[in-house]
Amino acid sequence: MVRWRIGRDPLWQEYDRLQKGMNELFHAMSGGTPRSFFDPLWREARIFPLLNVKEMDDSYVVTAEIPGMKTEDLDIKVIGDTLTLKGERKPMEIGEGASYHRRERATGTFQRSLTLPGRVEPDGVKANYKNGILTVTLQKEAKAQPKQISITAE
Amino acid sequence: MADELPVTNKSEVAPQGEFTREGRYFSPAVDIFGSDNELILLADMPGVSPDQVEIDLQEEVLTILGRITQEAEEKGQGLMTEYQTGNYFRSFRVTDMIDQTKITASMSDGVLKLVMPKAEKAVPRKIPITSE
Repeated sequence: MVRWRIGRDPLWQEYDRLQKGMNELFHAMSGGTPRSFFDPLWREARIFPLLNVKEMDDSYVVTAEIPGMKTEDLDIKVIGDTLTLKGERKPMEIGEGASYHRRERATGTFQRSLTLPGRVEPDGVKANYKNGILTVTLQKEAKAQPKQISITAE
Repeated sequence: MADELPVTNKSEVAPQGEFTREGRYFSPAVDIFGSDNELILLADMPGVSPDQVEIDLQEEVLTILGRITQEAEEKGQGLMTEYQTGNYFRSFRVTDMIDQTKITASMSDGVLKLVMPKAEKAVPRKIPITSE
């Protein structure tokens, strides 16, 4: 199983910045190549499903495009700071006598784990599936959430 | 055990004839299969709600346009962006005779299903030969 960590480490950020610079240079020199091999691999996993992650004040929001799933074929787990998505996209029954003219929509199983930058509340995880997009909202651990401190005037 | 799902990048397209609304367009992955009496098309368009799909069949050219609902909440800090979002556009030349009035479309979980019944073929006419 591959775990994926979101780069937050200052060292990785610096590395990323350098990579980006190299990339742009390479891009400019070669007159534009599609997806150069200098792309930081640690940032983009080649594992289905592709994920977008956003950080809110009190939560992390992970989204994935997985059209044509049944919710019972989706399995979402959170252990500590790791979110695991598992599932299977099943092929459609096309009926007898029918044949494919084009077949581009992939089917099969998937499993992907993502390590979040901080711990989350195990009971504060919500998942929603709408129009083929899975959205998982993970509440940050209470102590990691910003606290509003009220000032009392005397 | 089913195969592992491969990662496929969305391919961006420039639809013919510019749209008045700007935004990115991607080419949806499709399955097309058919039998003697109908042609079925499935297109993956995640993020498109059923009322945001336009289907058009004119002079053999079938056009599919799906618009995503722009998320109002653009708040938050992006930590990781592996996929881009945008509208969907694709067109096909349909050579089969389709009965346009009987096309049905449905959209569920980001997948468009288009059922296109084939027009009834001209029934071969038997030409009687009279012997004299």
